[in-house]
Amino acid sequence: MSDSDPRTAREEWGSRFGFLMAMLGAMVGAGNIWRMPFTTGENGGGAFLVAYILLLYLIAVPGLMAETMIGRYTNYGVIGAFRKVLGSKRAQGLGLVVLIVNVALMSYYAPIIGWALYYAGHSILMTFTQPGFQPQAFWEGFINNPALVVGMHTVTMAGLAGVLVFGIRRGIERVVKWMIPLLVVALVAVSIRGITLPGGMEGVAFVFTPDWGYLTRGSTWVAALSQALFSTGLGWGIALTYGSYLSRYDDVPLGGGLFTAIGNTSIGLLAVFATFPVVFAFGLEPSAGSNLLFISMAQVFPELPGGSLWAIVFFVSFFFATFTSGLGITEVAVTTVSEETRLSRTSAVLASCGAIWLFGLPSAYSSAFLGRMDFMFGSFGLPLATLSIIALVAWKFGPERARVLDLNRNAGVYIGSWWNPVVKYVIPVVMVFILGYGVYSSIGTVNQRLMLLGVAFMAALVVVSTLVMSVIGDEPPSGSAAVPGGDD
Amino acid sequence: MALSTLTWVSMLVSLLLLPGVAAAVLVRSLRTEERKLALLREQDDVDSYSPRALSDLREWIRANPDDPYSPIARRRYNECVRSLRAIDEPHYDWSDEQIARLELVDE
Repeated sequence: MSDSDPRTAREEWGSRFGFLMAMLGAMVGAGNIWRMPFTTGENGGGAFLVAYILLLYLIAVPGLMAETMIGRYTNYGVIGAFRKVLGSKRAQGLGLVVLIVNVALMSYYAPIIGWALYYAGHSILMTFTQPGFQPQAFWEGFINNPALVVGMHTVTMAGLAGVLVFGIRRGIERVVKWMIPLLVVALVAVSIRGITLPGGMEGVAFVFTPDWGYLTRGSTWVAALSQALFSTGLGWGIALTYGSYLSRYDDVPLGGGLFTAIGNTSIGLLAVFATFPVVFAFGLEPSAGSNLLFISMAQVFPELPGGSLWAIVFFVSFFFATFTSGLGITEVAVTTVSEETRLSRTSAVLASCGAIWLFGLPSAYSSAFLGRMDFMFGSFGLPLATLSIIALVAWKFGPERARVLDLNRNAGVYIGSWWNPVVKYVIPVVMVFILGYGVYSSIGTVNQRLMLLGVAFMAALVVVSTLVMSVIGDEPPSGSAAVPGGDD
Repeated sequence: MALSTLTWVSMLVSLLLLPGVAAAVLVRSLRTEERKLALLREQDDVDSYSPRALSDLREWIRANPDDPYSPIARRRYNECVRSLRAIDEPHYDWSDEQIARLELVDE
């Protein structure tokens, strides 16, 4: 190990496959399984996919490379990475912002994992194929029973803690190496079954018949942009954290960028194949949102030959998708808490999971509260966190320095200087646009007050985090190079 | 229901650009890593930059001698040059002539 690589006794991924599956597992979540299919259907089918693929390659892939690279370079979690590059106590506040946004996102994502777990459990109990099963009543009976939803939220957080306590290699890696391949196999199986259903090809036609008129609509591009950025997990701190456990010999561009972004989207596409043929074959409403999964799809299985088995395959794989994302999101907090407080991993896992469980109680108790959290943190918190991480690489570390020093080190593909302007200008502009669009599209709607609250909260978060870290933050470690400015 | 040609094209292009590329990247990434690990086991070291990437690094060092990260860049550059001189088989596509022409930079 060279002195240019200031590693501590930090854990590393046990295998390349484990890292790739962990990245994929963290990014593939509920959004891929239910959001991608109906977003595609609502926005011109094939035309949406054209816009989406363009933005994915142009923005999400380079962005994820930047985030993973800064994690591997610094070997720290979100606060440590900001500390190492920026070199000031105050600036670590931006790392704290990323951490708080991450915890907030997980606080309302954990109850959703609980929903998936509840449905996966009932699929195994074959509830969905019992005579007289009523999907709407079943869903309402569950979601309107706070004790049950809070209970599932609690079981979820206990399950996540149970895996995370074993660490990166023996915990996360061991689980994702099984769950992600099984998820892919399950989605392929459901896709094949769906396409072979009478009327199933209508669903394929609905999704893939391009309506080019949609490419001239701004809403199509905004939807494609949101899907490309948020479903790939850019700016959540996950790629940074997982990247910090990479060995110096590992590759960043292939695994940290290309495979993660495109693999994640491929699973979204598989979900399209798995869902839409079934939706059309059974005459369901394709734009039913979350209801599509928990109500519409649940009513399909009693009528499907071998429905009990297909229900298990579908809902268990959906649970795998959400659980592996939960591992990635929670690990951001675990790594950071462990580093910043010097707590043992077990204590950091208990503290992080305990805090997320506590903050998640209101969202578990009330799905209306969950919706408000999603609006505030999804529309304003996440772009802010992404902007912070990208700004760290683009405007402080400097994209050219990042590219020549670390991104191309041990890389399987060469990344040329085209990457620099994308990271320095395109992604920040896009994130500012998304923030602005979130504000603009809320004006005059029922969300206006919530938008104002969200903007005020995020502004306060930056100020308070900066102040807090200027008081309690550590000085930069000796020998670390704080950069006085960007390099180009 | 028969799909139109446009629908088939749209579907196949999506499959090629997404799952196709993802599968190709996965295979390439795993193979690359396997080869890198085999070389590491045999030689105890491996070159860390491709010819183009090392050339970029050299240019950057020349252009930014006073950069705070310059010492790290120089160490990484020299580390790669020393590895290339010491090992029998480079990981990247280096020719003997290219390796012979490489010089260390002042640290």
